[in-house]
Amino acid sequence: MNEARINGKPALLAAAAERAAEILSHARMPVIAGLGTDVAGARASILLAERLRGAYDHMYSARVFADLDVMRQAGLMFTTPNEARLRADVFLFIGKDLTKIWPAMLERLSPTEIPPFDLAREKRKLLWIAPGRGGAKLEGLAIKSLDSSNLHATLAALRARAAGRPVNCAKRMLRKLNEFAEVLKNARFGVAVWGGDSLDSLSIEMLHGLIRDLNRTTRFSGLPLGNDSNASGVVQTSGWMTGFPMRTSFGRGFPEHDTWRFDATRMIESGEADAALWISAYCAEAPQWKKNIPLVALAPPQTAFAQEPEVCIEIGCPGIDHDAAEFARETGSIVSRKAAHPSQASSVEAVIGEIAKHLGGDA
Amino acid sequence: MLILLKGGRIVDPVNERDEIGDLWIENDHIVAAQPGRLADEVHDVSGKIVMAGAIDIHSHIAGGNVNTARLLLPEKHQNHLPNPPALPLCTAKWSTFETGTIYASMGFTTVIEPAIVPHQALQAHLELSDIPIIDKGTLTVLGNDDFLLSLLRDGEGPAAVADYVASTVGASNGLGVKCINAGGATAFKYNARTFSLDDVVPFYGLTSRRIVEAMQRAVEDLKIPHPLHLHANNLGIPGNVATAIATIGAARGERLHFAHLQFYSYGSEGEKGFSSAAAELAAAVNAAPNVTVDVGQVMFRQTVTISADVLRQFNGAETARPKKSVIHDGDGNGGGIVPYLYREYDFVNAIQWACGLELFMLIDDPWRVFFTTDHPNGAPFTTYPEIFALIMSSDVRAEAIARLPQDAVAMTTLPSIAREYNLNEIAIMTRAAPAKLLGLKDRGHLGEGGLADVAVYSPGRDLAKMFRFAHLVFKDGDLVVRDGRVTHYRWGKALKVNPGYDKAIDRRLAGYYDHHFGVSRDLFAVTENLLPRAGAFREVACAR
Repeated sequence: MNEARINGKPALLAAAAERAAEILSHARMPVIAGLGTDVAGARASILLAERLRGAYDHMYSARVFADLDVMRQAGLMFTTPNEARLRADVFLFIGKDLTKIWPAMLERLSPTEIPPFDLAREKRKLLWIAPGRGGAKLEGLAIKSLDSSNLHATLAALRARAAGRPVNCAKRMLRKLNEFAEVLKNARFGVAVWGGDSLDSLSIEMLHGLIRDLNRTTRFSGLPLGNDSNASGVVQTSGWMTGFPMRTSFGRGFPEHDTWRFDATRMIESGEADAALWISAYCAEAPQWKKNIPLVALAPPQTAFAQEPEVCIEIGCPGIDHDAAEFARETGSIVSRKAAHPSQASSVEAVIGEIAKHLGGDA
Repeated sequence: MLILLKGGRIVDPVNERDEIGDLWIENDHIVAAQPGRLADEVHDVSGKIVMAGAIDIHSHIAGGNVNTARLLLPEKHQNHLPNPPALPLCTAKWSTFETGTIYASMGFTTVIEPAIVPHQALQAHLELSDIPIIDKGTLTVLGNDDFLLSLLRDGEGPAAVADYVASTVGASNGLGVKCINAGGATAFKYNARTFSLDDVVPFYGLTSRRIVEAMQRAVEDLKIPHPLHLHANNLGIPGNVATAIATIGAARGERLHFAHLQFYSYGSEGEKGFSSAAAELAAAVNAAPNVTVDVGQVMFRQTVTISADVLRQFNGAETARPKKSVIHDGDGNGGGIVPYLYREYDFVNAIQWACGLELFMLIDDPWRVFFTTDHPNGAPFTTYPEIFALIMSSDVRAEAIARLPQDAVAMTTLPSIAREYNLNEIAIMTRAAPAKLLGLKDRGHLGEGGLADVAVYSPGRDLAKMFRFAHLVFKDGDLVVRDGRVTHYRWGKALKVNPGYDKAIDRRLAGYYDHHFGVSRDLFAVTENLLPRAGAFREVACAR
């Protein structure tokens, strides 16, 4: 059954929902943060934000916007894990965190296998930029790696060499860059893979420029690994519901999007937001802000909060406790996830439904 | 609830009515006149025009590519109007909520999203679930997917192809089947930069013609009401009228729906190597009774082109305005999102605009030419009212032509055409014919037993205004629009077919997904309990 607490004391779900509604509806500018939830939970959250005239944000927005800002400023070329797995004859991996971000990545992309859709059916080539201290090793495949202490410079130099432009660098480095550039230019369908904090917007834009350049003569695409807690699913849901991704506010009665103004942590630390609804259904993540404001939390039981929320309602994990639609890294699309261990634990959608009952009408 | 619409001009081509009369609605259906009964609600619609709710057969309103376009262009849809409390998000520009609201206020009650690849079907149906009021449907995009192309390459018979198509359309909850540059997206992955009807897809050794023929056959064998919906090769290229005419020939007299024909009506005459060949193409359509087309009219304004013809979109990215685009090599078709600004003073854009109108005017049979802008590719669907005015009034057209560069006008036949659509033809093109084309017997007409989807318009000199703000709109007998304003949300159905097939193909597909993709096919299922409301679907029978 659902566990709920009001000011740290056990409470019934109905009472907790009523108190939550009170806190959120009395705020001048409530903010929904975390937003680690499935599509149904995101949908309910956005409708609730609309009702409350509040804002909403996601815990991994900073990383989401590293990719998304490049897309909406310069465009993007990208592909799916399926295409990468079945077709890529060249992989360009960037950064040391790839398998940490996606532990199943190597199994899923199977770089050591010959790509079945490739006409030449040759062993793949794997280039790895900044693989980190452990270096790049994979049984059954020779990897060419390139260390980099400055990805901006490395990617810029690589792009220049791939386009046949001169670069000013040490001879050994130049040899390496030339070697990489040759592999990239001779790829039939190459795929660049990145993720996490390794690349900021500038490097992603440079990488995108490289991909565009390569497509003048051959095929190349990108595979950003995205973020946990259904960040991409929340982007999609927010996109069709409001036209914008998260970091959107209904303060003026219509959705306004601004990555700086509606950064939940900034809004709270600056005093602009005066109550928060924290949602983290996938993991026991707690809010990172320091300021003490009225907090309603929908979180798994083991979450350690810096300060006890005024209302805390325990929720189940999408795809484990209940069926869920969520964005899947392994397919690059929103998928149908059957509950692995169905339980009575409430979904975010159900709890928000309870809260909304006390706001009049249904969210 | 018994509703009487009293004394309006009833325009109902299916029942050959164009007369002043009454229309009775009981609950969600149209009923025969009820003499002696007192209506619960009477609307005096004298002086008004009463038609069935309009049906849009081709409008990109949902799915991953549409959503990418929203996310690509935040600066193009800033908001400034709060919504009424009862209509959350209805003023959020380009949101699903706004889409349903605007369609309804123009008297549209059913809209088909024509390009959903199977792996995007769940997202598409989640999006459609958030479009209020109207009924929806999707066409499932096949023809660049490895499983199908492998079946054809390996010479498996039409039965296996039909089983695969049925299983995939069923799993995607689609209403029909579409091919988008059949084979072209796959050829592009092998670095092809052009792809025509008889070009061969590397690795599979199949021509586009062969794929289209096989898909046409599968659709017919499965008795899916809507014929194969085809986005042909060479979209948007000067001189592509030859491809279009060859494609009509490739249909071999079998049913085929040729989508957004305007984009294929280009000659390469004149100094600039670009001209209208719409007259020639219209003649070819007139001579091919097996073929239906929709226009894909261009209007002058900012828009964004959204297409699963990834090869074409890649080539078009050079002309992006603003200069950014997304090219997605997806499973099967993928897609390309390229913003575009159609300008009245631009030679090419002016000819494109004229081509669309020439097709409207020169294709004789309103049962075979459909009203679309290929939203948002030629123009957003919000321009429909202006287009109604253009095809219904030669004066409105003449004024518009006068604003164009005259060297462009000289490359078209448009100024010589005097035809004006009448209301009966409009009702055929936007109501009766779409229902017939999609196999929707319950709508598109005002006969007894029909679904009470009804649009009432106030006629006036300003034709665009008449169609922009319907006087009244009923969806399933529920009055949802008064004087062009939506009063409340209700939630429509997604229409789908469920063709029968030999389930052995499902086991084969499960194995294929496990082995090739390394993930379960079940991940891509459109699971009804994941949609926000129960009863999201309505099945359309497969029989003709």
